[in-house]
Amino acid sequence: MTTTPAAPKAPPEAFVRPPQELRTKKSSPFPYALLTPALAVLAVLVAWPILKLLVTSFQEYGRAQAFGAPPEWVGLDNYVEVLTSGEFYAVLARSVGFMVVAVVLTMTLGTLVALLMIRLGKAMRMLVTVGLLLAWAMPALSTVMVWGWMFDTRYGVVNYLLTQVTGSDWAGHSWLIEPLSFFLVLGLIVVWMGVPFIAFTMYAGLTQVPVETLEASQLDGANARQRFFQIQVPFVRSIIIVLIVLSVIWDLRVFAQVYALQGIGGLYEKTSTLGVWIYQKGTASGDFGFAAAAAVVMVFIMLLISLYYVRQTLKEDD
Amino acid sequence: MKRARNVVAAATTVTLALALSACASGDTPADDSGETAAEEAPAGDIRVWLVGSDTPEEAREHLKTTFEAENEGSTLTIEEQSWTGLVDKYTTALSGSDSPDLVEIGNTQAPAFTSAGAFLDLTDSYEELGGDDLLPGFVESGSFEGQFYAAPYYSGARVGIYSTEITGDVEVPATWDEYLANIETLASDEVSGLYTPGKDWRNGMVFVWANGGDIATVDDSGTWTGGFSSPESITGLEQLQDVMLNSNHAPADSDETDPQVPFCAGEIGYLTAPSWVRWSIAAAEDAEVPGCLETYGAEDKLSAFAIPGAEEGTYAPVLAGGSNIAIPTNAPNPELARSALEIILSDDYQEILAANGLVPAKVSQAEFMADDAFSQASAAAAAAAQLTPASPLWADVEASGVLEDSFVKLAQGEDVATVAAELDAEIEGTLNG
Repeated sequence: MTTTPAAPKAPPEAFVRPPQELRTKKSSPFPYALLTPALAVLAVLVAWPILKLLVTSFQEYGRAQAFGAPPEWVGLDNYVEVLTSGEFYAVLARSVGFMVVAVVLTMTLGTLVALLMIRLGKAMRMLVTVGLLLAWAMPALSTVMVWGWMFDTRYGVVNYLLTQVTGSDWAGHSWLIEPLSFFLVLGLIVVWMGVPFIAFTMYAGLTQVPVETLEASQLDGANARQRFFQIQVPFVRSIIIVLIVLSVIWDLRVFAQVYALQGIGGLYEKTSTLGVWIYQKGTASGDFGFAAAAAVVMVFIMLLISLYYVRQTLKEDD
Repeated sequence: MKRARNVVAAATTVTLALALSACASGDTPADDSGETAAEEAPAGDIRVWLVGSDTPEEAREHLKTTFEAENEGSTLTIEEQSWTGLVDKYTTALSGSDSPDLVEIGNTQAPAFTSAGAFLDLTDSYEELGGDDLLPGFVESGSFEGQFYAAPYYSGARVGIYSTEITGDVEVPATWDEYLANIETLASDEVSGLYTPGKDWRNGMVFVWANGGDIATVDDSGTWTGGFSSPESITGLEQLQDVMLNSNHAPADSDETDPQVPFCAGEIGYLTAPSWVRWSIAAAEDAEVPGCLETYGAEDKLSAFAIPGAEEGTYAPVLAGGSNIAIPTNAPNPELARSALEIILSDDYQEILAANGLVPAKVSQAEFMADDAFSQASAAAAAAAQLTPASPLWADVEASGVLEDSFVKLAQGEDVATVAAELDAEIEGTLNG
């Protein structure tokens, strides 16, 4: 990530070309030799599990197989089962819907906080930074527990305050039992945890926008909105793309928050997102083959989404 | 420029990954001390997984000290697991290379693992461990295809718990109808006549069984038929829904954990729970997990009864609670684990469990049960207790959360017949593979 903010600082292309080509020609194999042992470790840690996942997805693999019974090859059966189950599409639609809302909210709020930080004085900016860092540093599980308590049906502070403020009786109102308000609480948690990263990165990016350009546009009569959309945004465009792609992936595969929140309240069948659903099918219900196939499908969806980003990066690299 | 930078970045990432994985692998147990010093088993460090807080502190202490005295040079560590998500946890932990040596498992969950070959075959030690003196229902749940894998650990039936500070003059019910009537009487704007959180299907099952219903039945060809839609079950579920909606303040989507909180707030008339929940209620106000020993949980106020059946003198079938204990196939020190298992089944250890309201693992050890209301209620309820369907796939039904979802829907006031029919379909789908 740290490499991206440098992009706007780079001089016009004409100046970059010659040294870059020079560099490529002289490229020595030394860095790659250094990388080899580490890449071998990555192959074991990353490539092997993925391979295992692929293999499992073509097998009838249950709890007995996990404990040593020989698995049976079933070809594409698991995939057919996943792709023909209505449940899969319901879960997928739910996950995508949630992801879109969460990403839009996280990006908007994160950018607004970044803009705020630029305008703040030193002391206040420090305060905001510390606050954001605390939210960012909080483990997902603890976060869900704390928010879960706040929204507790019987003893939660939210219901208590609503009763005090509105005068009507909120005691006993269950926030998690209706899927829509379950996702409201979940969204609150996910956005709350996601904003700090967006805010910091956007802040880092926005402070790299040359002051002279902004001043010049101001002299030309551009208002704050125009300066933002026509100068600042184009400058940090690549950062925004990275952030959106990362957020999309994070919010699509959100697991711990949903899993923990379901433990506090709500209906499993109406609130499971992709990650949790796969977990329930696999680890909990012991149908690893089916779960592996669903996971592979999910990986493909993620790949499709990040394809845009990868192509964008490759284009820039050329 | 950029490419070189990318390489540096990649190198940094990889180094970091290496460093992190090095940390992660740092604590792999360095066992295999190799030498057969003692004649039975080499000294080692064994890990015992007990679930929840059901096992009293005193028993844990006894297990550790006795084991370490009997096996010089060896140590025993108890690692407490959570009931929530236990099947998931064991599926991954027991099939891996970092398996514990001895594990407690809920009796309804045991078949999922005995049938998968996750536990060491203990058939040869059956007589040695207690033979026919072991609780029969639990021997059954710990056996698969005639082989014995998981020994009984303890049993505990669900009883009705109440505090006279809330129930006042209301007599202990003698029949099922009286029980329902009392629940209605006790309910008020503040008090739940019967505390019925929506997800708590385990305590809800008594309504189905008391009316003659069933979870599922199997025919000669091995095909399961869901039983929630039978007229008897529907009657029971309607009664339960009536209680949930009209005599209960527990949230429709909460579960049965920490019932001592509302109980100690004076919000519960009757609470159905395993008898050991009394110790959570009768904990001191300033304990780490506070109870209410001074008020609702005082010794002269807190009491229990076995939930009555249709006729006076009979008892309603409650879900048989309790645990099995087994040695995983991948246990690093199976010999030492067996020594710990023997201590757990010994009279000394089980006497501590009995004193804490748990029904001991052997029939002969029942004499250790105290002579108070809780123990009597437990014993009566245990005699009438019911088991979940005897299928290795049953644990998958439990793990899927479909029972919780269905009971939550009842608590929300959805149509009983529809919920029951959907639940039956789910259960049949899972049990019939």
